Amino acid sequence: MDIAVSVKDITKKYSLYKDPWGPIKEVATRKKLHKDFFALLGVTLDFPKGESIGILGKNGSGKSTLLKIITGITEPTSGKVDVQGSIVFLDVSSGIDSELSGYDNIFMKGTLLGYTKQDMLTKIDDIIEFSELGEFIGQPVKNYSSGMKAKLGFAISVNVDPDILIVDEALAVGDASFQKKCMAKMNDFKLQGKTIIFVSHDNHAIESFCSKAAWIHQGELITYGDAKFVGSMYGEFMSGRKPIESILAEIQYEHAINQVAYATKENGFSLQITGILRNQQRKNVHERFQLAIRDDRTGETIMENLSSANQGFTVDFSEKEFPLFFKPGKFSFWLHEELAEEKEVEFSIWAGNAAISEPPSSGYDRFRYHFNVQQNNLQLAIENIEKVEQQVNRIWIEDELLHIDGIAFVRGYETKSPDDLAMKFYLTELNTFKRHAFPVTISETEEITENPAYNPQGKVYNFSRFQVAIDLRQLEIGSFESHLSYIMEKEPQHQLLNLVWASKASEYPAEPYSASAYTAHIQTANKYLRLEKRAKL
Amino acid sequence: MFDIYKEMWKRRKMIQSLSIQEIKREYAGTLLGFVWGLVNPLMRIAVFWFVFSVGARAGGPVDGAPYFAWLAIGMVAWFLLNDGFRLTQKSFRSKRSIIKNTPFPIAILPAVQILFSYYIHLILLAVVFLLTALSLQTVSLYNLQLLYYDFAAVMLLLGIGSMTAPLVAVSKDFGRFLDTILVFLFWMTPIFWSADNLGMYDWIIKLNPFHYIVQGYRDSFFYETGFWEQPVYTFYFWILVLIFFLLGNYLHKRMKPIFLDTL
Repeated sequence: MDIAVSVKDITKKYSLYKDPWGPIKEVATRKKLHKDFFALLGVTLDFPKGESIGILGKNGSGKSTLLKIITGITEPTSGKVDVQGSIVFLDVSSGIDSELSGYDNIFMKGTLLGYTKQDMLTKIDDIIEFSELGEFIGQPVKNYSSGMKAKLGFAISVNVDPDILIVDEALAVGDASFQKKCMAKMNDFKLQGKTIIFVSHDNHAIESFCSKAAWIHQGELITYGDAKFVGSMYGEFMSGRKPIESILAEIQYEHAINQVAYATKENGFSLQITGILRNQQRKNVHERFQLAIRDDRTGETIMENLSSANQGFTVDFSEKEFPLFFKPGKFSFWLHEELAEEKEVEFSIWAGNAAISEPPSSGYDRFRYHFNVQQNNLQLAIENIEKVEQQVNRIWIEDELLHIDGIAFVRGYETKSPDDLAMKFYLTELNTFKRHAFPVTISETEEITENPAYNPQGKVYNFSRFQVAIDLRQLEIGSFESHLSYIMEKEPQHQLLNLVWASKASEYPAEPYSASAYTAHIQTANKYLRLEKRAKL
Repeated sequence: MFDIYKEMWKRRKMIQSLSIQEIKREYAGTLLGFVWGLVNPLMRIAVFWFVFSVGARAGGPVDGAPYFAWLAIGMVAWFLLNDGFRLTQKSFRSKRSIIKNTPFPIAILPAVQILFSYYIHLILLAVVFLLTALSLQTVSLYNLQLLYYDFAAVMLLLGIGSMTAPLVAVSKDFGRFLDTILVFLFWMTPIFWSADNLGMYDWIIKLNPFHYIVQGYRDSFFYETGFWEQPVYTFYFWILVLIFFLLGNYLHKRMKPIFLDTL
């Protein structure tokens, strides 16, 4: 493979002075008074001939510095650049003099690029035609709109026929039809086996136009390879879904989930995941890592160490160890590494080829478990088997006791005696995820049974009122969400778990309850019941 | 040791077309174009003549040459030196946008400005030459010496420009300093006063290489003196130019990585 531009271990250092006299003082006192800023740090890249290569990076990441070093506009602090062929650096404004006419500018820029007047005379008609400027070509460039300037700049650059064309965010200007024309011209270039280096902070442009891409972040090369792969990584970083450490780890390691097996037995749900995790030397590194499962709604995370098995790792999770973690919701899977200084790295594990084995129904299924793979990531969705209708009718606080009075029933499940069902109420603190369970008193009400809107079939839901009393003194300071577990004691013996629905805001205390050491706030803004206990200052 | 000058020689065609474009740029948008390049210096010559000759009554003939013509010839030489000096020291700073955006042999930029100044100078010289030739019959073989002194002036400016341009690119303060120096040089170079007035101290004035050019111009017009008739002074001048060249090359190499970043 021929290399058009080879960049070896390029470092570019800028010295930043706070004091304008800094450089002089530094010479006089021999003290270091500047801060080193590395615009590029040890970047090594080969640009193969005849390909279009994208350089991605957000503003200030060093991509423009790299271009300037390749073109020779700036000299690197250390490292070597080797360029085979002539380069044209296409950026909209370069080498365009606003006092001169468009026509004179064509010669001006031609001269700067090293072409003689005769050379340019043979190209001038193509340039004027491509620029779509028509009779304006004789006008001074200062009277041009920015789009016209860009057209002129682009027309000159592409028509002087360079071996390597460097495009710096230039296509953002100009109208759609001109952009299309530019793209067509650049595709011609590709077909002629010329090299195009395309710089952008937009991964979509690069994914669609380039075959390869390099991603530079804070002066360092993060990754270089297939444009789609690099573009998607960059997209995930820029959208804020992943920090840079995670992406580095994700690229650095080879990781995959091979198999997912799960079961529900009398002691609950259990899950076994097997896969591989190794570094670039193909050595297993899983002893440093844990597998994390995260509840996507609350962020609650459980982790288990990976253990070696069969050239890879295996890890088991069971509901017994993490009660009430596996409840209706969506869950994602991550590899997690604790680093020094309380830092951690997390990245989603590749599961593009994961085999998910469905267990035979065991009769202990509390929920419906559903695994699937989306965008190469494993996801678990848990759903209740049946829907619980519920509402909190009244909330009041008396003598530091929080009373909750509501109703809950499942359509079709008749409750004629108090032994037909049981309920439990849970509070979960949203930072520590510590759970509190509270007994529920079930009592008789005719509210549902007699209401034809809820009960058109005339079933009996007499025992559907629940009452909970929570001693606020026993709760820690924090913010809590509430769950209600509905347990059928008869067939089909389903156990359902839901967030507590509370939409009758007028029946709940609007003002915070104030005790001697704390205040308690009932929050139902999103219709689910939340409780916050705040310390008094 | 002479890398940047070799580069200039290699790119002489580029220098040539860039300096032409510089003229276009300079007079772009004006209707009279290069006529302005003529009006301004002639006006200044007239003003100086009026001030010194009529106002200060100091305008007697200098060694037999009429003061007005003597002043005009000196000023013509001075304008070349002045413009060349002023434009070359700024040559990197004023072309910042090109340097920052275009891969380009920037070492030639001082030469572009000198050639540009030289073209403007040629127009003025032609006019003044014609006027003195018609009114004072100054035409002689010694006029051909102007070619030598023009060459000497261009070389001197190239040496000075190669030194000052990188320094000014690094430090704006240095540019201000040079502007001040230029004013000083203008009054200290015997342009509207004769070096003879200093008597035995005229050697101090002769240390100034600009004087060599201005004096040479006058010698070629009025005094029929060849540059070979003052071999020591000629030798001194060229040694100085050589030193400027060497320093210019060194400073360019040394400063380029710095001003590429800071410009």
